This record gives sequence, structure tokens and C-alpha cells, in this order.
Amino acid sequence: MSKVAVLTNDLQYDLVNKNQERIDAVEEATPGFSGFLNDMRERGHHVVHLQLINREDDLVAERYEGGRLPAQKGTKGAEILPVFLDETDILIEKNKDSGFYETDLHEQLQALGVETVIVTGMQGQICVQTTAADAFFRGYNVWVPSDCVVSARDHDKIRALDWLDGYCATVAPSAEIVSTLDETGELPRKVFRTP
Amino acid sequence: MATDSFLDQQIVLDHGTGARLSRELVEFMVGVLGDVYIGEMEDSAMLPVPAGNIAMTTDSFVVDPPFFGNGDIGKIAVCGTVNDLAVVGAEPLYLTLAMILETGLPIRRLHQALVSLRDTAKEAGVKIVAGDTKVVGPGEADGIFLNTTGIGVFHRAPKRMTDVRAGDRIVLSGPIGNHTVHLLSVREGLGFEKNVLSDCAPLNGMIDALEEAVPADAVRSMRDVTRGGLSAVLHEYAAALGRTLRIEDAALPVDFETRMAADMLGINPLNCANEGCLALFVDPDSVDSVLKTLRAHPYGERAVVIGEVTDRAVKAVELVGEDGKVSEIEELQGAELPRLC
Repeated sequence: MSKVAVLTNDLQYDLVNKNQERIDAVEEATPGFSGFLNDMRERGHHVVHLQLINREDDLVAERYEGGRLPAQKGTKGAEILPVFLDETDILIEKNKDSGFYETDLHEQLQALGVETVIVTGMQGQICVQTTAADAFFRGYNVWVPSDCVVSARDHDKIRALDWLDGYCATVAPSAEIVSTLDETGELPRKVFRTP
Repeated sequence: MATDSFLDQQIVLDHGTGARLSRELVEFMVGVLGDVYIGEMEDSAMLPVPAGNIAMTTDSFVVDPPFFGNGDIGKIAVCGTVNDLAVVGAEPLYLTLAMILETGLPIRRLHQALVSLRDTAKEAGVKIVAGDTKVVGPGEADGIFLNTTGIGVFHRAPKRMTDVRAGDRIVLSGPIGNHTVHLLSVREGLGFEKNVLSDCAPLNGMIDALEEAVPADAVRSMRDVTRGGLSAVLHEYAAALGRTLRIEDAALPVDFETRMAADMLGINPLNCANEGCLALFVDPDSVDSVLKTLRAHPYGERAVVIGEVTDRAVKAVELVGEDGKVSEIEELQGAELPRLC
């Protein structure tokens, strides 16, 4: 069983359709991003979708214009966009930014024997960063495909990738990740030296 | 001892009306506080104090979330007030405890806060001498708000900002930023909450040990680095002294995970609230003994010199970067982040 899992964040109708900037950014990334997920599935790696479900009682959760709470459980808006989804994928609900926060993501990854997580999705400067940091603290080897990270604003994405590269992850194009896996069967772990 | 069925209840408006439910709640709270509570249920506490001046301070606590790693609103309510008394050189003796509770608050949560408050008061050696409880409707508060007012007495000369001199070293008793990063991480589920904990601690024991170990004027003045962070403390001193304070970026104790989170969030650890960190202004001849004593205490193990008070008669705070360049630290217009204590 593969020790590699791709984690996606927040690829859901309500969250992607929040504004035109997000729609454009996701559209631009989709061909390569969905292709990467297919490549990983074909090679037997796990794909785990982290699905944000906002709780009505969460006062911190961002509400849209008119006070509407997006991505509520059971709504169309909470569903993952089909272009990223496959019936073999794993779906894990989360209520906060990090996919590990009060979820059983870590337990499920441990049960699968996962050692390396490839963190993707939207937005780079929030859920991708926090999920990657959380994975790093839990001892996972963290990779981030730069073309499978989406932010509404380019400078947010660039800053997020710089941060990830500097603190906790190996950032590389998705094609390089696939080819490295094909050639060596694994993704090397970057060493971060804490002061 | 409160029964499980009582703990399973929630706060209702009648818990604050002064009638039977109020009385039962007060009895419950007094029971939890145990011998830390020495009130006599009169309308005022009547307390012995030695002759001379007393120190008195008050603080309200609205921390969000009220329960977090290495602390909760009960612990902060003791630490915040005790530390404010201790840094001016007083021995904290008495606290009052006022609560504003929102209907619907699980009594089990109140119990948790009270246990924490009691244990912290025991550690700090202070007694709760009077209290008040008000209950408000849903949405009129956020679970639990506390206020503590503290009284301390002086066994040595009070410490004032104006006692600080040019050439004094600025010492921090521990790392900065952890409390803020922890709380933000719990609020938003950022993934740092298990790796970065609040530094919340009563510091009067460490201050006592320090004052016993070093000459009386070795520590000219000190502040607990709370709201507004180190930057606010330094600006306060710069204004009071009319001098420039200069600190070294490379010397600032900021944990790796805290710097990581601060970089991600776009916040500056210098502006982050803390709940267990002292800034001390120290006679340069006594720095080594001050550091040695602080480092011998569990709350001061990572004490470090971060800068000095210069003889430049301009109110300013400067940061010396790792490249040697000097930049001015601007005073924040308002609080960078709300509800951290």
C-alpha cells in the first residue's frame, strides 16, 4: 500500500465560487491539478479531500454577504467539485483551517501507513499552509506541488509557497513530483534545522 | 462536593438574581475555591494589612477562547492581577473575583475555570476575599468574563519606571509570542496549538526569589509583557524616561514554531500579548546574577538580555537587525489582536 497521500483542501462549490478571482484561479489550475490527482490515483497513491463544513454555532466562521454561512453540511455548496473527485478518494470533513484540527485525518493516514503527504488546494495562504504545518509537526514528510495550490491573489500564493518552502515543505511542480516518484518510488524528506 | 447532576446544568438568569439559585451557585463556588476563599459573606471584606502603602490594581478578562493549552480564563484572571502587583515590588495578598456569566454556560466549564483559578491562587499565595456574580442573556456576553482586583503590600521599596537609568540592560524572562500564537491557533484551527502553548504563569514567586538574591536596586523596574507585547512595554518606558531603548533582533527569544506562525499570520512577535513573561530593567553590574537567578526558576529558564537603555535623550525604541542595521519600532496605533487576555 502506498505511503503517499495527496491532501486537497476546500475544493468545494461555495468556497470556489465565492468571487471571480477564486473562480478564475481554480479554472486556470484545474487541468494540471486534476491531471495530477489522476496521475497519483493511477500509481496507487491515496487522494484525501479535506472538506470544510462550517458549523452554524462557529462564530469565527466567515459568512458571505447577507450573513449566509457557506459550506454547511448536506448542502450543494459543501460538495467537492466533481472534476477533482473520484469514487476511490477519501473524504474527511473538517471545521477549521487545518485538516488535522479535531478530525481523524491523522488516524486515517496512520492506518494507511502514510509517511508523505502532498498538500494541495485552496487557499494557499490559509488551509494549505496550516494543514502542511500541522502535518510537519506530526512528523510527515510534506510536499507541495506549486501548480496545485490556488489563491485568489497571486501574491498570496507566492508568499505562501515561500513560507512553506522555508519552514516545513518541499515545493516543486507537480510533474517533478510524479517523475521523482516514478524514478525512485519515494519523495526525499527535506531537513529543516530549527535554531 | 458538587454532584454530577449539578455540574451537568447550565447557567440560567436566576443564578444571578440573588435568590435561591444564586445562593446555591455561590455555595458551589465557595466549595470549589476551598481555603483559597476567605470571604465572610459580609457586604465587604475586612482585611488586615501591615502599616504603610498598599498596591492595588484591577483587570478584566475576556480571553477568547476561555479554555486553552496551559491555561484558561481562571488562571489568567489570577496571573494577570498578581503579576501586575508583583512587578511594582508588592507582595500580592488578596484578590476579589467578579464574574459575568452568559446563560447557557455549562456549569462544568465554570467549575473548570474555578479549579484553575483556585490552583493558581494557591501557587501565587493569594486569597480570594470577595466576589460577585452577574448573569446576562444569550449574546450579551461570551460565556464567561472575569474581573479580579488585587491588593498587595510592600516589604521593600516600590519599583517605578522612572528609576531606570541610561546603560541599564533590558532582560526578558522568557520567550515572547507563544500565548498569542496559541490562542489564534485554537480559534482558527491553524495547527500550531499543540506545539505552541500559552506561557500563562504567576510570576510573583520568581520575582521574590530574584529580589532575595540580588541587591535592592539591581532590578530598577519591571513589567509583565501582556497586551501590546514587548513593543508596548518598551514604548511606555521610552516615553517615561525620555530616552531611546535599543534591542537586538538576534537576541529576542522567539520559538521556531512561533516565528513560523507569526510569519504565516503576518503578525510581529514584538506586538504579541504574553501572560508569563517579564521585561526587567537591570543595573549592568548585576545582569549576571539576575540572569542566574531567573534561569534557576522554572518560569525564567530562558531569561536573556535583549538590549539596553541608551543615553540618547529621544523617546524611541530601536531594533538592531542581524545585519547591524538599526530601525525604529513604531508604536501601534491600536491593539493588533483582540481578546487575548
